[in-house]
Formats: sequence, C-alpha cells, structure tokens
Amino acid sequence: MEAEQQAEVAKTTNALIPEAGDIHEIPSLWLLLRVWFGIGIQSFGGGIATLALIRQAVTERHRWMTDVEFTRDWALVQVAPGINLLALTILIGRRVRGVPGIFVALAGLLLPSVAITLLLTAGYARIRGLAVVQAALRGIVPAIVGLGLLTGAQMARSLLVLSRREGSTSLAVGFLILLGGAFATALWGVPVLLILLLGGVAGALWQWRYAVRKHAEDVSPS
Amino acid sequence: MNPWLSFWLFLKASLFSTGGMGNLPSLHNDLLARRWATERQFAESLLIGQLAPGPNGFWVLSLGFLTDGLRGALLALLAINLPPMLILLVERLYRHVKEHPAVEGFMRGMSLALTGMFAITMYRLLRGGGLDVRTVLIALAAVGLGATRRVPLIVIVALAAVAGVLFTSGH
Repeated sequence: MEAEQQAEVAKTTNALIPEAGDIHEIPSLWLLLRVWFGIGIQSFGGGIATLALIRQAVTERHRWMTDVEFTRDWALVQVAPGINLLALTILIGRRVRGVPGIFVALAGLLLPSVAITLLLTAGYARIRGLAVVQAALRGIVPAIVGLGLLTGAQMARSLLVLSRREGSTSLAVGFLILLGGAFATALWGVPVLLILLLGGVAGALWQWRYAVRKHAEDVSPS
Repeated sequence: MNPWLSFWLFLKASLFSTGGMGNLPSLHNDLLARRWATERQFAESLLIGQLAPGPNGFWVLSLGFLTDGLRGALLALLAINLPPMLILLVERLYRHVKEHPAVEGFMRGMSLALTGMFAITMYRLLRGGGLDVRTVLIALAAVGLGATRRVPLIVIVALAAVAGVLFTSGH
C-alpha cells in the first residue's frame, strides 16, 4: 500500500515540475544539521509522514535538489538494506555536502528521535513490573500483533499488485514465494537468512525469464 | 549475553531486510533461541517504536535497551545505521546496470518471503502472550480499526490497554 502511495506521489510531483529548478543551493553544514534536526523531532508516525516532511524541506523550503532527483533517490533506497529513511538521508546528505554531509544529516535526524526513544524506553523499564502495566500489556500485545499483520498484508498486497500486472502466472509465483516463506518458518525452523535468499533467487530467476520472454514477444509480434 | 555476538545478530538482521520491521523475524528467532530476549520484550519494544518519533525501525533501539541496557541500545543504533550505508554502493552500481530484471525480481522475491515469515512471527508473538478468545478478539479489533485508517495508532493501543486491564480484573 505504501509503495502505491509513493508511486502516486512520484507521479504527481513529476507531472507538476517537469525537470524544473536547476538552481541548487548549497547549504552550510550547520544549516544542514538544523534542517535534519527539525525533521527528526517532527517525525512522528513514521513512513509516509516523514517522507513528506523531508521532500518539503529539501525541495521546497530549501532548493537543495529537484523533485525529480528526490523521486529518483527515493526509488533507489527501496533496494538498499535496512531502514529506507536512513538510506535516503545518507543519499541526500552526500548529494548536498559530500561525505561530511552524510554524517551531519544522519546526526541531525538521529539525535532527537533516538534520545526520545531511549527516554521512553528507560521510563517504561521503571514501570514495567507494575501489575496494572502487565494487565494492560495483555491487551496491547494482541493489538500490536493485529496491527503488525495489517502492515504485513499491506506490504504483501503492494508486491502482489506488481506481479498481477505481469499476468496470472507471475501472481501465482508471488503467492508461492510468500507461502513458502511462511511454511518454511512455521514447520522446519529453516534459518531466516536461507529463506530470504531462496525467496530472492526464486524471484530473480522468474523475473529474468519473464523479461527475456517479453523481449522476444516485443521483437517478433506474431 | 555476549555483546559482540549480539551486535552481529542485530547487524545481520537489518543487513538482510528492507524497511523498518523487516529485521523482526530474524531477531525474534536468534534472540529467543539464545534466551537473550523474551516474547514480552519484543512486544514492548514494538510498542515503544510505534509511539516514539523517528522511523518505525527504531523499535530495535528499545529492544537493545530492554535486553542489555544502554550498551545494547547503542550497539543496536550502530547496527541499524551501517546497512543503509550500502546505498552508496547501490547508487554506483545503478549508474552502470540501471534496472536489470533479476535485481528487481530478487528484491521482490525476498520481500514476499519476508512477509510470509512476518505472519508466522506475529502468530508466535500472540501465542507467547497467551492465546485465547479474548486476545484473538483484541487482535481482530485492532486489524479492523487499523484498516479504517481513521483511528490514530495511539488510540488503538490505549483501547487495547483498557481491554487488557478490564479482562484481568474480571478474573
């Protein structure tokens, strides 16, 4: 679902500003730190909300990069391991101020949010033994599980929508990989890494085969 | 707990995943097997990660803190910041190969396998907290409220907390 929204955002921003704004402002490291600090402190709600905040800061309030560049960077970080927003921060930091920019932008984003997360955890650690907290958790744990399942379903849906566009066989392959991941985890205790790699290799082989066939069809439409 | 091995487990989990919660199944497996974390600590850190600012992936910082204090939190912080650095390598590669279908397929296949594993991890988390009619009902209610996209997360969590207290005092 998130991926769909992002694609939508990318489409509209591209349409609005076709290759516009060639003037790039180069900020001081101090300004870079301040802007990312502001993003870090406002980034409640994660994901899309923070992405919108970053886009506005680096392409509108400050003209550090164009919308097209921003959209390309966002597409690229989908392929990076780990947290996408951190990879995006790294890319933008380097784009505007080179290697020092990477560390300054990361520090700005991390300082407020990490500090608040740790303070919340430390505060929680003090009260986690209370009977009322334990009782509340008996309700909260299933709710977190429900919300987690919902997130998982939305992630799966956006991937399967991509597969469906390529035809029903692609969709079936997608489902098989998904179910394979679930069964391997549930039944045999296969190492997590192995499941991920097998899923990746299966996807890569299928996609490659699909591209080759499509290419052959496009070349000789008979 | 061996801090270096623990650091490696955190690093490995985010190295081979994308997105903020992709590292959950791997960490859940590895830390529970070594008894370095409990089901409850996982649930607690996911909760705090959702409520605190910053990417949702910061739930790992809470997990580090709850299992190993400040040292655990700082090692977790380092572990989640290193893998995204590989984006610099990806960008360089991207300029050469652009979009090879196998690369796209690999990422999609890995993410699909991950969502399958994710469902099982969630089920284990639910079972760890005690599986009965009430907990299943709360989970379903959370799915329903969450799917509307109208109810803020904190409201869902607060309602669930009240339900937990009411159910417990009813015993």
